[in-house]
Amino acid sequence: MSFKKFRRWMDEPGNSVIFTGSTMFVIIVLAGILVPFFYRFGPYDFVGEPLQAPNSQFLFGTDQLGRDVFSRTFHAVYLDLGVAFLGVAIPFVTGTVIGIILGISKSKRLIALISSIIDGINAFPLLILAAALIAFLGPGLGSVIIILSLTNWARYARIARTKAVVVSQQNYVEAAYTLGYPRRRIIRKHIAPNVSSETIAYGLSDFILVILLVAGLSFLGLAATPPTAEWGAMISEGRGYIQASPWVTLFPGAALCWAAISLAFIVEGLNRREGKV
Amino acid sequence: MAQSTGKQDKTEQTAVDNRKVFAYKVGIRFIRSIAVAFWVTVIAFTLIRLVPGDPASNRLGVDADPAALAAMRKQLGLDVPPIQQFFNFFRGLIQGDLGTSLQFDREVSDIVFSALPVTLWLIALSVVISIVVAIPLALFVATSKSVIVAYIFRSSTAIAIALPNFFIALILILIFSIRFEWAPLLGYTREFPGNLEYLWLPAVVNATTLVSILARVLYSSIGDTLREEFVETGIIRGIGRFRFLWYYILKPSLAPTVVLLSYIMGVMLGTTVIMEAVFSLPGIGTELIAGVFNRDYPTVQAIVFIFGVIVVFFSFLGDLLAYWLDRRVKF
Repeated sequence: MSFKKFRRWMDEPGNSVIFTGSTMFVIIVLAGILVPFFYRFGPYDFVGEPLQAPNSQFLFGTDQLGRDVFSRTFHAVYLDLGVAFLGVAIPFVTGTVIGIILGISKSKRLIALISSIIDGINAFPLLILAAALIAFLGPGLGSVIIILSLTNWARYARIARTKAVVVSQQNYVEAAYTLGYPRRRIIRKHIAPNVSSETIAYGLSDFILVILLVAGLSFLGLAATPPTAEWGAMISEGRGYIQASPWVTLFPGAALCWAAISLAFIVEGLNRREGKV
Repeated sequence: MAQSTGKQDKTEQTAVDNRKVFAYKVGIRFIRSIAVAFWVTVIAFTLIRLVPGDPASNRLGVDADPAALAAMRKQLGLDVPPIQQFFNFFRGLIQGDLGTSLQFDREVSDIVFSALPVTLWLIALSVVISIVVAIPLALFVATSKSVIVAYIFRSSTAIAIALPNFFIALILILIFSIRFEWAPLLGYTREFPGNLEYLWLPAVVNATTLVSILARVLYSSIGDTLREEFVETGIIRGIGRFRFLWYYILKPSLAPTVVLLSYIMGVMLGTTVIMEAVFSLPGIGTELIAGVFNRDYPTVQAIVFIFGVIVVFFSFLGDLLAYWLDRRVKF
């Protein structure tokens, strides 16, 4: 893309916001890949005096055990974003599939049964359900992924179902049936793409919520537990020293905000492009 | 003459029909709520069955005394067949018996009743702050013609929604509790005016997200309302300012916000758990987390159930209120 074309693209509503958001997101992901490979200190090494203020040797200072905050903050990227990504991707797939099946199903009983289960799951705030399930499965990031796969699909299924009902009544679907295409092909080529555009849009904003949920659960000590380099756990560990050594808490918190805000900008930009806001 | 009575009959008939339709709709919505509440119960009941292995030996250790294990199973209600267990669980709920906590041998219902008011106070305060801020904010932005105001509003609310509330809470504690000492952190009091001193800061943190969400939805629905023809009519007829703002702009625009608010109330139960942990408030979220750490299965089960029922109740209430505000709403 030439520079002129890029300028014109940026002038369309929403695109500059999308560009800002994606740049911010790429920066944090790159930092998350490069820092663990090339930085001289590991996230779990005791490298110096505890609670040193940021200086030329330790860019973000050191924490209460003398570990390097810079290294820990960027080591957390792959854990936080990775767990959140799996926690969105798995429910996205299962939820969309279940929603499509419900949307085109003719069996009233099946629809009534599954959609009341969906309503039941959606009645619980995600954080409450996750916390409760952790009581039964035990704390850990693995549990969080399992829990999100078990519960979060219901939100996608609801959206997918509504859309699938609308799509399956469209003329082009009717036409495909008339042309005698097999049902599998119609679902795969005509219904699924149109439904998933809707669930992808939700998935992007859900990604923000899930990142915050993973960090929040870790902050409560229910997901990642110390000494794991994870933003929520680091913020929770640094809490006790926040008055005298705020850098232990502020840098992981800032990284978390950065990641969430970058995605929020992308969502906002996409909404503006579609004229939703 | 005959014509006019006929007309009157017709209007009376429509009024009766309207009332019937309303009752019918409320009835249907109520039945749906009951169905959802049933699934809430089933899910809360199923939770304890997700424990890998035997909950009793998980709790007491593998090499515990067999008699103690049997007693624990009895206390958890696991000593009878599953169908019977569900029936017992359900009967207990109807009688207000939520089981016995494994930590202090306290009744779970006692724990809930002492902790729930703190949480409800916090939520109520957050909602009041949010409404008081969000409605004027949305009205101002939607009625102002400035593009810059709208741009700043949209960007800042998008950011505010994405901020992690526990981190914001820590920063605000650093400023307001430690630096200025305006918000005490320890020694919560339950009496009414005194508790506000402890609750205002967590409520403000909760409200930052809530204000943004509500104001955005209200802003876009006011935008839709302003394009309606009756608004123009109102302007032409020269209705008084406040009357105009309420009947012509706010009331037709509020329905989506009210529905959303009732949904958000549920989400807030979740964020309140984190707020209670950060501000060490003795609310139901704190009890939930303590229960999770101590593997206190009956307490966790009961609290999850209560949260579910509260959410179902709020969403029923929200839909009713939305219908009252705007008869065009479907539910």
